Order: sequence, then C-alpha cells, then structure tokens
Amino acid sequence: MTETRTGAPVAPQHLRMLWMLAPAFVLLLLFFILPYVSIATMSLREASTRAVHGEGWTVSHYTTALTDAYILTVIGRTVLMGGLVTLLALLLGYPVAYHLAMSRSRWTSLLYVCVLSPLLVGLVVRTFAWMIILSNNGVVNQTLRSLGLIDFPLQLMNTPAGVVIALTHVFLPFVVLPLLGNLQAINPEVSMAARSLGASRLRTFLKVTLPLSLPGLQAGAILVFVLSISAYVTPALLGGVRGRTMSVLIVQYLVDTFRWPAGAALATIMAAVALIAVTLFLLLTARAMRRLP
Amino acid sequence: MTSLALDRLNKHFGTQHILRDVSIAMAQGEFVSLLGPSGCGKTTTLRCIAGFEQPSSGRILFGDRDVTAALPEKRDIGMVFQSYALFPHMTVAENLDFGLVARKVPPDERRRRREAVLGMVRLQGFEGRYPRELSGGQQQRVALARALVIEPSVLLLDEPLANLDATLRDEMRFFIRELQQRVGITAIYVTHDQAEAMVMSDRIVVMRAGAIAQVGTPRMIYERPASLDVAAFIGRSNTLEARVEAVAGGGGLYVVRAGPSALRAAGPVGLAPGSAVRLLLRPEAVRVDPPDAAPAGGGNHILARIAASVYQGAAIQLVLETPEGARLIADVNGRRAVAPGQTVALGFAPADAWLLPA
Amino acid sequence: MTAASGVRRTLWDRLFLALVAAIYIFLMFPIVLVVVLSLNSGEFLAFPLEGVSLRWFGALFGNQRFLAALIYSVQIAAVATVVNAVFGTLAALYVARFAGRWRDRLRTLMTSPLLIPEILTAIALLFYFYELGIGTRYSLAIQMGHIVITFPYVFLNVSAALFNFDRSQEEAARSLGAGPWMTFRRVTLPAIKPGLITGGLFAFVISFDVFNISLLLKALGHNTMPLELFDYLRFNFDPTAAAVASLSIFVTFGAIFLIDRTVGLRSLRF
Repeated sequence: MTETRTGAPVAPQHLRMLWMLAPAFVLLLLFFILPYVSIATMSLREASTRAVHGEGWTVSHYTTALTDAYILTVIGRTVLMGGLVTLLALLLGYPVAYHLAMSRSRWTSLLYVCVLSPLLVGLVVRTFAWMIILSNNGVVNQTLRSLGLIDFPLQLMNTPAGVVIALTHVFLPFVVLPLLGNLQAINPEVSMAARSLGASRLRTFLKVTLPLSLPGLQAGAILVFVLSISAYVTPALLGGVRGRTMSVLIVQYLVDTFRWPAGAALATIMAAVALIAVTLFLLLTARAMRRLP
Repeated sequence: MTSLALDRLNKHFGTQHILRDVSIAMAQGEFVSLLGPSGCGKTTTLRCIAGFEQPSSGRILFGDRDVTAALPEKRDIGMVFQSYALFPHMTVAENLDFGLVARKVPPDERRRRREAVLGMVRLQGFEGRYPRELSGGQQQRVALARALVIEPSVLLLDEPLANLDATLRDEMRFFIRELQQRVGITAIYVTHDQAEAMVMSDRIVVMRAGAIAQVGTPRMIYERPASLDVAAFIGRSNTLEARVEAVAGGGGLYVVRAGPSALRAAGPVGLAPGSAVRLLLRPEAVRVDPPDAAPAGGGNHILARIAASVYQGAAIQLVLETPEGARLIADVNGRRAVAPGQTVALGFAPADAWLLPA
Repeated sequence: MTAASGVRRTLWDRLFLALVAAIYIFLMFPIVLVVVLSLNSGEFLAFPLEGVSLRWFGALFGNQRFLAALIYSVQIAAVATVVNAVFGTLAALYVARFAGRWRDRLRTLMTSPLLIPEILTAIALLFYFYELGIGTRYSLAIQMGHIVITFPYVFLNVSAALFNFDRSQEEAARSLGAGPWMTFRRVTLPAIKPGLITGGLFAFVISFDVFNISLLLKALGHNTMPLELFDYLRFNFDPTAAAVASLSIFVTFGAIFLIDRTVGLRSLRF
C-alpha cells in the first residue's frame, strides 16, 4: 500500500471506550481509595479534647495500643476467635459443599437456597436469632432445663463461645460457596480413576479430592478469617465484655469516647493483623498448593 | 476360557430402560469393542463392569468370580478414561504408584514395575513430570501405563482417543492394540468411531437403544450385518428393493429379482421364496463394465445411467440411476474416465451382496 | 461421582447424609425460629408458643420509628441499586472487552469493596467525609457508602453474564446494519439481563442489610432498618423485634424467589 491516510489518527479502542469505565473508576477513587488515605493520616494526628484531632503529628497511638495490656488481650482474643470460627466453618462447610457438588437430585436447588439464604438475611437478624437461642431464658437453656440436665442456666450469652457459635453460622456460606465452585470444577473421572485403581472411598477422598480442593479451602478460610476478625454486630450484641473484639473497641473509640486518632490507629492495626495472618496462611499452604495446576 | 461375562444385564433409570438384556462372553486376551451412537448404552455397560453403576438385574462375572455387587476398588480393573483422568497434583511416577500403593506393593517392586511399564509406553525419563507438562498423546500413554501397571484382570477403555487429533489417533490405535496383545490382557473398548473399532477389535458389539444389535468379527459386521440399522451405522451401503425368487443351493445363496434383473446374492439361511428383501451392496464392491459386456463368471449385472461423477483422487465416486429410479453409489478406480449420461453395467459378485428381510 | 444414583448406599453414605442434614438444620434453624416466634401471641420471645397471631406485626406497623426506618432503608437501597446498575454494567462491559492486560487488575479493584472488611471502609469514609467538611450532616455519606459497598455485586453478576455471551451475535447484528446503540439495546442488553437482574436484586438486599456503614455514616436523625432493630434490641427483647426480623427475612426470600423464577439461582455470583 502506497496510499497513506490523512486526517487525525484514530485512538485505539481501549482508550476511546474509557468513558465506560470512568463512572465506576471515579466512584471507587473518590469514595473508596482516597478514604483509606484518611485512616492512615487520622491515625497519625495528635489527640485533642476540643476538636476531632489536634494540630500536630504523632505515632503515639500505635505505641500506646501495642503496649497496652488490655488492647493486646483484645487483639489476641479477636485473632483466636477468628481462627476458631474459621476452623469450625471449614469443618462444617466441607461436608455441605461436597454433598451439593455430588448431588444430582431435584432438591439440589432448594438446598442451595438453604446455604445462600443466611448470607442474605441481615447480620442483625441472624445475631438476634442467636440471642434468642443462647440467652439465659433461651431455647438451649429451656430445653436443657426441661430435660432435667441443668438446674441453673448455662451462661452462653456475653461469652466468647456464644460469639464463635454465632459467627460460624453467619459465615458458613463463605466457606461453602468457593469450595462448591472448586469441587464442581474437579473432573469427576479423576476420582473414578482412583477407585478403579483400588483406592477405597476414604483414600480417594484423602489423596485425590481433598488435595484438589485446596484452593477452595484456602479461599474460604481467608474470607471467613478476615470477615470474622472484623465483624462488629455479632460480638457487640452477643459478646458482652468478655467477648469484646477489636471492632467493638474501635467503634467505642469512634462513637462513644470520640477518640478518632486512636481509633484510626486501632483500625490500621486490625488491617495489619488481617494482612499478616493471611500472608502467614498463604506461606504455610504454599507447599501444598505448588503441586496444583 | 471365559475371562469376563455379562449375563442379561438390565438397567432402569426412572421410567427409562437404559440396558436391555445385555449379554457378552469374552475369552482371555480378547479385544472387544462396544460400538454405537451416543445414548446406545455402551458407556453405561462399561460403567457397570467397572462398578460405577449398579445394574438393575443381571450378573457380571470376572472368570468365575461374581463381581456384580463388588465395589469398584475391589474388582481389579484397569480403566482408561476419555479425559485421561490423571491426578493433576501428582507426578507421572506418583500416578503410576497410586494403584500399587493401594495394593501394598513394596517400594522396590513398585519401582521395577513402573520402569517396565514406562518402557512399554515409551516414556522412560518422564517420572518426575506433572501431567500438565505432557502433551495430549503422552498423557494418554501415562493413563494407559497407570491402568496396566497394576496388572488388572480386565482393561476398560472409555473412548480414550476421542480427545486426540486425527494423526495421533491413527498412531495410538495401533499402539494400544499392539500393547494389549503383548500383555495378553482382556480389553473392552467403548467407541462411537466405527473405523477405530474395525482396526482394533477381535470382535465388535454393536449396540443400539440399550440392546445388542450384533456381535461379530469386524469382517462379519461389515459384510454380513444382522440388520439394516447395523449396515447403516457401519460404513456406507446401497440398498435395492428385491424379492426372493428361489434358493440357489445351500449355504444361504439366493436368486432375487430387482426390477427387470434377476440377481444372485448371499443372505442369511431361511429366507422364504416370495418374501420381500433388501439387497445390500457396498460401494467399493461394485464394478463398472461396458453395457454390452457379459457378467464375469457367476456375477451379476444391473444397467444404470451415470448421473454424476465426483473425482476424489484415489477413486471416482459415481452416482448412478437405474431405469426403475433407484440411486446407487459406486467407488471406481480413479484412472478411468467415465462421462455422466453414459449407460453402464454395474457388476458385482454374489458373495459381495447381502440380503436382509425388508 | 461415587454418590451417583444406581450405586448402593453404604452405612457410611447414611452417616454422611445424617451429618449433612444436621448442618443444614444448624443453618436454617435460627432463621425459622425467628419467624415462628414472631407469630407468638404471648409477651415473650420463648417457647412454648401461647398462640398464633399477627399482633406483633401490627405492633411493628404501628411503630413510627420502624416505619420511618423502613422507608429510609428502601430509599437508600433503591438509589444504590439504580446507580450501580448503570455504573456496574458499563464497567463490566469495559473490563470484559477493552481492558486487555489490565483486566485482572481492574477486576480486583472493582471487587475490592467486597474483599476488604466493611467496617474499615466505613471508618475510612467517616474520616474522609469529615475532612471534606461534609461529615454526616446529610445522607450523602451513608448513600455513597452503600453505593460503594454494593457495587461489586452488580459488576460481578454482569461480568459473569458477559463471560457466557458469544460476541459473534453482536458482529452479526452489526453486519445486518444495526448501529452500536441498537446492537447494545437489542442484542447485548437482553443477553446480560439475567446478570443485571440478579446483581441488582443482590445489591438491593445487601444494601438493605448493611450495618457497619450505616452505623458510622448515618445522617443525624435517620436510622436504617438494621440500625433501628439493633437499637431496639439493646433495650427491648420482645416479639416486635422478631416481627421486624421476619419482615427482613421475607424480603430476602422474596428476592431469592424472584431470582429463581426469572433467571435461575445457579447464575448467582459473589
């Protein structure tokens, strides 16, 4: 071709079409990314009794938080409860996901609703349900008493145990859904091959299905852990003083005692704890994951 | 000696009748293909043999062992899957060891058998590779090795070549057949590809709508099909409507009338004179002679006009029309020119024609 | 699969099924319990039921605070849904078609409000709006919070619909003389409609339930439904709360029913 085109060069399509991305991008930039800068700056402002924050800058909120015995206890408790919730959710979620993945009955979609619906029923409502169940006059205590098993009500509300049970229920779907996706993606002929080679069902599960579902387990575990250490409603309503977690403490700082810079530092610490835990978890599972395609 | 027998297997699924009285007996070392269109029940039959499906009634015997109710892992089968089903998180060596570990074979024995079988499938030195690092053909051979290394009593193959490209498929057909004969193992091969079944099998079981339509050697299935369905499924064929005039001696030779011509043709024993039949003629069994030539010794002639001629390289495909309006296809030698519009005599030997009740 | 029909059920199968059934009961029991107790005619949130009545729903609709909260929640959720339907669809189209090697990074950005703990986003927005000098005097802060937090649901569901959409249909439309707008309206939009409906309903339901964002960003004098319930529960513990909870459960199941009827549940994406 010797003929050259005249006129303005046409911009490539991915630039011409940027207007489609613009609204969402601006939305997230202005109301999601920039606000996170605010947490960081707020956590470094001096405290003040007359305004939201003082004039100067300081790192004292971090040093105070990380040396305060009470705050460290709360951090430890939050991580421990998060770990426990994650473990319980994995243990209860795996059988459900496995069953859903294998099931070909016409009830499957109904069961799917059973898994999904807790996710869509508000947190406050679900926590409220657990208050009814766990309170001193609640369903559990009433039942045990009428069976003659106890004379005095078991203290389940306002304890870490109650929070762990309720959070496990609340976040169970977050384990089931990624696992279900993973299990459904595994070629069913692979486990048939294991059986044909003489492996029992248990051995097939342990040696083939379980290792191949590690990515789903990993995704579910990370989701549940991050969600449960940052949960607010459930520990606030069910935890009392003994079950107080970082989120509850942070909201106290922000809303009740109006210590925004210190609260910002705590929030940053919570994000860091989550990040460290997830990184550690990824490192620990990296060896097992390396073999997977 | 019977190595594997299916005895009147039936399978119902809801109101559907998926298998109807499927009975097959296989000799030790025999290669049998289950051939048929999708949904004919061939895969269900294989899964019943493997133990992944339970027949509603009937028995499955391995030698004299009744395995009908046995779990898959207790059956001592080697199975090759359409998707290969290699364990993606294990190396080739670990894939091969899987069945041996389940059988508690000691490590050095495992190693010896692994090396022997990898030699057989020409994959020495691939022990440390993961399945994703292998080509399709190599994965296929690992799948085969994994099924053979446990020295099973039966080898089951479920369309193992369906995911390979055409050249590799041709190569693997002979490879699998040769390996099976070398090991001397009884093999059942499920396929919908008739050419594959033809070149690989000792015997072919043609299935249709859950029932066995015919069992026989490839030659029998091709030349002496039991029904028009089988004939239509295996290769191309011409059919002419005809009527039996007389039985021409024993051994299933008949004289039939098709239009103006009296023809001699082979057929199953017991066709009654006067009954309506279809005369089956494979396109490659037809010879084109000049219209005035006399048929070669004992042969038949039908007059037909050439309607079209298609050059195909090795052969020329002729579309012919008889004066009665029947259309026939003939593959003739590519070097001879034949012009459309010409009338010719179609010649064929009585043994190349096959009669079936209409 | 080994549990396929046609293979005998062993003892282990039965034990496994019993275990799974128990977990399903654990999942559903609290929700069913709330609905049952909201129908109690007695004064207490406890068994045995004294009788069945709708009196607590009557009490709920007689309660001005709950009614106001309900209206406020619906307003916030409706605005979030409409804004996200437009922004989310456009972004999903761009990411699926034109993002090229930026696709994965953009996808992560677009879904990050879902991946990062909601309470952190709430805190961040609280400080940010304060710095902007707007604070929580108006409903702007809470509204933006709801839009951001529910944005990924529309984006993900439309993206999933686009993934299954064969683009040669669009090329066919263009070759038949349709312009870009007509092609979008007559070919692309109908194809992604299931994802849009699912994502929109999801965004609505999630916005209706969001708590932390609302807690920290609510405008003075306005409570959303979950906040009102939360406040109520701190001082009262009677079946009115159960009626409120039941109402929200009905809204959720209504949405699930709608999704199932219109586009099928399996199309849901998180």
